[in-house]
Amino acid sequence: MSNNNKKWFSLNLGRKEKAASGSCSCGKTSGGCGGASNSHHITDEEFDVAAINASIGEERTKDGFEQVFDVKMDRRTAFKKLTASLLIGAGAVSTSCSVISSDENKEKSQIDWEEQFKGNYKLMTDEEKNGTVDRLVRSYQLRTGKTISMSSKNAEEDVLFGYAFNISKCKGYMDCVNACVEENNQDRNSQMQYIRIHEMKDGKGFNFNEADDNYYHEVPAEGHFYMGTQCFHCDNPPCVEVCPVQATWREDDGLVVVDYDWCVGCRYCMAACPYDGRRFNWSKPEVPEAEINHNQHYLGNRMRKKGVMEKCTFCVQRSRAGKNPACVEACPTGARIFGNLLDPDSTIRWVLENKKVFRLKEDLGTEPKFWYFMD
Amino acid sequence: MKSNINMMGKIVCFSFFLLAFFSCKHHENEYHSITDKIEAESKNYHGTSISSEAYIGEIETIEITEGEHTFLIPERKSQIKSYACTECHSKPLEKMQRKAIKKAHWDIKMDHANANTMNCVTCHNPDHMDDLKSLTGNTIDFNTSYNLCNQCHTKQFEDWKGGAHGKRIGGWAPPRASMTCVNCHNPHKPHFESRWPARFNTQKVKERE
Repeated sequence: MSNNNKKWFSLNLGRKEKAASGSCSCGKTSGGCGGASNSHHITDEEFDVAAINASIGEERTKDGFEQVFDVKMDRRTAFKKLTASLLIGAGAVSTSCSVISSDENKEKSQIDWEEQFKGNYKLMTDEEKNGTVDRLVRSYQLRTGKTISMSSKNAEEDVLFGYAFNISKCKGYMDCVNACVEENNQDRNSQMQYIRIHEMKDGKGFNFNEADDNYYHEVPAEGHFYMGTQCFHCDNPPCVEVCPVQATWREDDGLVVVDYDWCVGCRYCMAACPYDGRRFNWSKPEVPEAEINHNQHYLGNRMRKKGVMEKCTFCVQRSRAGKNPACVEACPTGARIFGNLLDPDSTIRWVLENKKVFRLKEDLGTEPKFWYFMD
Repeated sequence: MKSNINMMGKIVCFSFFLLAFFSCKHHENEYHSITDKIEAESKNYHGTSISSEAYIGEIETIEITEGEHTFLIPERKSQIKSYACTECHSKPLEKMQRKAIKKAHWDIKMDHANANTMNCVTCHNPDHMDDLKSLTGNTIDFNTSYNLCNQCHTKQFEDWKGGAHGKRIGGWAPPRASMTCVNCHNPHKPHFESRWPARFNTQKVKERE
């Protein structure tokens, strides 16, 4: 059967070509179709490919203008997209119902199925949160054989996280950036990072147009000062308002978080953020197995997928446990101060009350909880 | 008829009451700014169950109270390799500065203020090496050496007490443990060296070309 001049439509889900083509569609020449579990079973990679095909399809090769105006959405394409999505589910079902496939495979498909149709994390009860976290941990174990710990710890009462950055102390060493990448399992290839350190000329003020955020020379450089930006965890976050699927929201302790499984990757939030605080996964984030941080939080540093937003979470997996974010801990100059804004005795409160603090673009009314100050 | 008017009056009163009740802001947005919000919400602050105590770890600490601030700093004496100093410094300093005796502390190069302002005995007590001394000759313990620094660096001291200068040990939650001056600054050469950044993003360079 050659694929080139087919007269009928078939789904291309990246499946392997069947070795023998018999009389029966299951690929077996004898014995009936009953035990055809292998041909129905799709591997992890195929599952990923299918999922991406279903969600993005040919838009991968087009961009912007073309995507909007150059769409051939005839009945066939619409059908194709619909079936591709259905097939993911069907694949999972067929494997889980199959008699022969191993228990592990069944469990995997069961997990895939439940993960595919789970709700928005924001609306989950605590049991449901534990459920999805347990599934993700188990799924990781089944796929890699490694055990991770993932938390679904909620915001604590009487906690509102805030951050202060001393621009006269920062020397531009960028130890914070390295610590952040390692802590938050960020993609190593694309070098996408939550923190930017801007090298600015003395006497020019905060001129981001002329600032350099990818310098490489001995620091601190003569006549320059350094300041870091990341997600400011606004109390009135514009990114949350524009999200069409409510995949990002503000938690009660002030952290602005993303449900990576609910995000559709439209990047509205990226456009809405006045501080360039959000990042997009243009490719599948890859972290060498040995470097993966196994202490994870659902809303924090768990492994992301291709095509979803992510950003600084003030290291939710650390901060909710009482630790400082990785950048604060790594900073050798003490330029970064983190703490509970509601605790009148906290160090962050002392900074806000006794130093001359300011925030970026205060007039926008976004109320960032990230203050800058000088000695 | 009268009862009807009475009834009407009651309804009007009631609806006014309802209106007054609901128009009171009970939302998170009731604050004009985040500063107002922090101020208002921290009035009934009861503390949290989160503690950073576990993250202080093996570090031995001592509690200090300076002004209105009480917090922990690392214990110092056990961290100095050659403490106690009197194990060698049994004689006054002058008697030990002879060529016949093996040279010690040769690796220490003073780079702190200038020679007019400081030399070894500005801080070290030549008569009793186990302790430090203030400018006026009072004894200062090695564990509370910040009292030596704050004689000149008053501004930094104020910031350090409040938490704006220096680093926390462990985490953000109470109990507060902060590094003391000598945990980051070498007292003989207190400035930070310039060095190369820890990272260079080659990918970013490519993308921007």
